[in-house]
Amino acid sequence: MPKPAPAANLLPLTPPVFHILLALADEERHGYGIMQDVARQTNDALKLGPGTLYGCLKRMLAAGLVEESDERPDTELGREQCDERRRYYRMTDVGRSVVRAEAHRLAEAVTAARARLGLAGGK
Amino acid sequence: MDSISIRGLCGVYTAMLYAYPRDFRRQYGAEMQQVFRDRCREQSGASWLAFSGSTAMDWIASVIRERRAASLAVSAQMGAGRKLIQEWAVTLLLFLFVTTTMVQAYVVPTGSMENNILIGDHMLVDKVGFSNTGNNWTSYVLPTRQVKRGDIIAFRFPEDVRQTFVKRVIGLPGDRIHLQNKRVIRNGQPLDEPYAQHVTSYIDDDRDNFPTAAAPAAFAHQVQDGDVIVPPDMLFVLGDNRDDSLDSRYWGFVPRDYIVGKPLVIYWSYDGSTKDFETWNIAHLEDVALHFFTKTRWSRTLTTP
Repeated sequence: MPKPAPAANLLPLTPPVFHILLALADEERHGYGIMQDVARQTNDALKLGPGTLYGCLKRMLAAGLVEESDERPDTELGREQCDERRRYYRMTDVGRSVVRAEAHRLAEAVTAARARLGLAGGK
Repeated sequence: MDSISIRGLCGVYTAMLYAYPRDFRRQYGAEMQQVFRDRCREQSGASWLAFSGSTAMDWIASVIRERRAASLAVSAQMGAGRKLIQEWAVTLLLFLFVTTTMVQAYVVPTGSMENNILIGDHMLVDKVGFSNTGNNWTSYVLPTRQVKRGDIIAFRFPEDVRQTFVKRVIGLPGDRIHLQNKRVIRNGQPLDEPYAQHVTSYIDDDRDNFPTAAAPAAFAHQVQDGDVIVPPDMLFVLGDNRDDSLDSRYWGFVPRDYIVGKPLVIYWSYDGSTKDFETWNIAHLEDVALHFFTKTRWSRTLTTP
C-alpha cells in the first residue's frame, strides 16, 4: 500500500471523489449505495456510472481516503438483492480530514464569489 | 423492463468490462456488474435512453482513464532494463524492418572483384534497387531500375543459394558473348573494361577463351557461332579480377530472380584474409581488437564500390 499523501496535496478533489467521501461520512456503504447517495446529495445532477465510481474508489483506496470494510448482504435492498454479498467501503480518518479541508476550501470559494458577485446568502 | 431483458443487458455489460485493464476488471468487475444491474432495475420508460447514454459515456471515459493509469503503473514498475527495451523498441523494430527488407550487410571474403571490392569489405547491399523484375506499379513508387550492363550485383550463387556472390553484369538477355585471349567480345564488339584487372599474363585456355569445349553444361544449348547467347531472364556475370574469379564462365548464368541487390556502401573495410571473413574465429576478433585503427582501410569507408 503506498503511503497516504498529505491532505493538502489531494486538493481540490474532483466532484465524484468529494461526493463519494460525503456519502461515506456517516456510514459504510456498498457501491450502489454510494451511487444512490451521491445522486441524492446532488439532486440527481451527478449519477456515477460504475466505471467512474470504481475508478475513483480504486484511487481513493490507494491514497488511503477510504478502506474496504467487510462483505455482507444488504438488508435494505429488496429480497432478491438481499441474497447477494456486497463489498462495503468506509471512510478513513485521512479521508475525513481531506473532505473537511475540501469543504472548507469550497466554502471560502463560495464566500469570495458572493462578495464579488453581490449574491445574497441564499438562492 | 423485465428481468430477462435486464439479464441480457448485464451480459452486454459483462462483455464491455473486458475493455478495462485486467487487474482493474478482476478487482472491481463483479461489483461493477452489481451496480449496473441495480441501476437497470431502477430505470423505467423514458429514463432508459438517458441511462444508456450516461453508461456509455462512463464506460468510454473510465476505460481510457484506467488504461492510461495501468500503462503508467507498468512503466513505473519496470526495471531499468525493461525501460531501456521499451525506449529502444521502436528503433529496434525499424532496424529489423530495414535490415530484413531494404538493406542487408555482407562481408566480402574473396578477391574476385579486386581491385574494386577487396577482401574484408563490409558492405550494405540495397535490396530494393533491383527488386522490380517487370513492369508493374511498384516501379512508379519504389526507387528501382532495371539491371544494366556494367552494374555490380549481389546474387545468390545458383549452385549453392546459401552463398551470396558479388560480380559485374556483362551480358543481358539476348547478348552474344565470347572471350578471346582475356578480351570480352559482346555482340561483336570488344569491350573496353577499365574496371577489370589481370594478375597473370599467360593465357589459360579454359579461363581466357570462352566458350570452349570445357564450358559448363548450362551453355550447351546456348552456343551459336562461338558466342553464348544469354537466355531470357538470365544474366552473364564476370568478376573484375578476371584471372582469379569463379564466375559465369565456370558455372553458368544467374537467373534474374536470384539477384539480392546492389552494393550500396562500404561501411567498414578491414585488411584480413579469406578465412577471417568466411568463418567466425576468435583469432580474427583478437586481431581486430588489437589492430582496428591500423588495419582498417579508412579511405574505403563510406565509399560505393
